[in-house]
Amino acid sequence: MNPLSPQQVRDLARFVALTRDRELNCSECRDAAGELAERRLAGLPLDTTLERVEHHLQLCPECTEEFRALERVLREST
Amino acid sequence: MPPPEPGLPLDWPESLRAADNGAAIVVLRTHLAVRLRVALSDRTDVSEAQIEDFVQESILRVLSQLDRYAGRSRFLTWATSVAINVAFTELRKKRWQDVSLDALVEAGRHLTEEPLAEEAPSGGDEERTRLLESLREAIALHLTERQRAAIAGELQGLPFDQVVSLLGTNRNAAYKLLHDARLALRRHLIAGGTSAETIRTVFAP
Ligand SMILES: [Zn+2]
Repeated sequence: MNPLSPQQVRDLARFVALTRDRELNCSECRDAAGELAERRLAGLPLDTTLERVEHHLQLCPECTEEFRALERVLREST
Repeated sequence: MPPPEPGLPLDWPESLRAADNGAAIVVLRTHLAVRLRVALSDRTDVSEAQIEDFVQESILRVLSQLDRYAGRSRFLTWATSVAINVAFTELRKKRWQDVSLDALVEAGRHLTEEPLAEEAPSGGDEERTRLLESLREAIALHLTERQRAAIAGELQGLPFDQVVSLLGTNRNAAYKLLHDARLALRRHLIAGGTSAETIRTVFAP
């Protein structure tokens, strides 16, 4: 494997800066992702749980990839 | 809200839990097939047969995980998120790289050996350079070999399931490993006299 690229170093620094004592894991994030996507689409306010889902998305590229796909589906289904 | 189509189950989770859930499954299948096609529409590497497989697998997953649906979104939204996870997890497997655990551990060790370099650090970024050096130090001092390996894999874009598999663990344990590592690194920076606020400003502007 290669040494880290500048972008990967930036990612590492960002992850360390944004981490919190309590974080959701991927399956907890997925459980609430549907609600977050619906409320964002409707422009509704987010509660603490959904704010924690957003936080997980900032740290997890795979959940982010899936969340974007879900948002697209919801946008195109309404 | 428009009236439900004839034949559309009104109460999704219950109609799927029922012994005679055949009709509900047919409707679910139709919806998931349409929705997965939208979700995957920008991917050129997915065949029609694969989408059919994803839909089939998604239905099984939805049925086995009905208890996870808490009713806080529409049922179909939740089922779609399950289906997207099924499809993307499978598609990521194609991106698995030919990497051994030894190579991953080696990559983790690299993190401690050389400065965490960024492109042409500008003169004004002394704080950032100092913090990055402190971060490298913390990786060497406070992380286990497995944590370093997991971080290296994550940063290099290995699918998370591959990192999990190489480490011989499960997703939740691997996530905790990474989370504990990030916390340890942050604690080291804070112990060195940098406030959480400064770390955020410098590293996550
Ligand atoms: Zn995640």
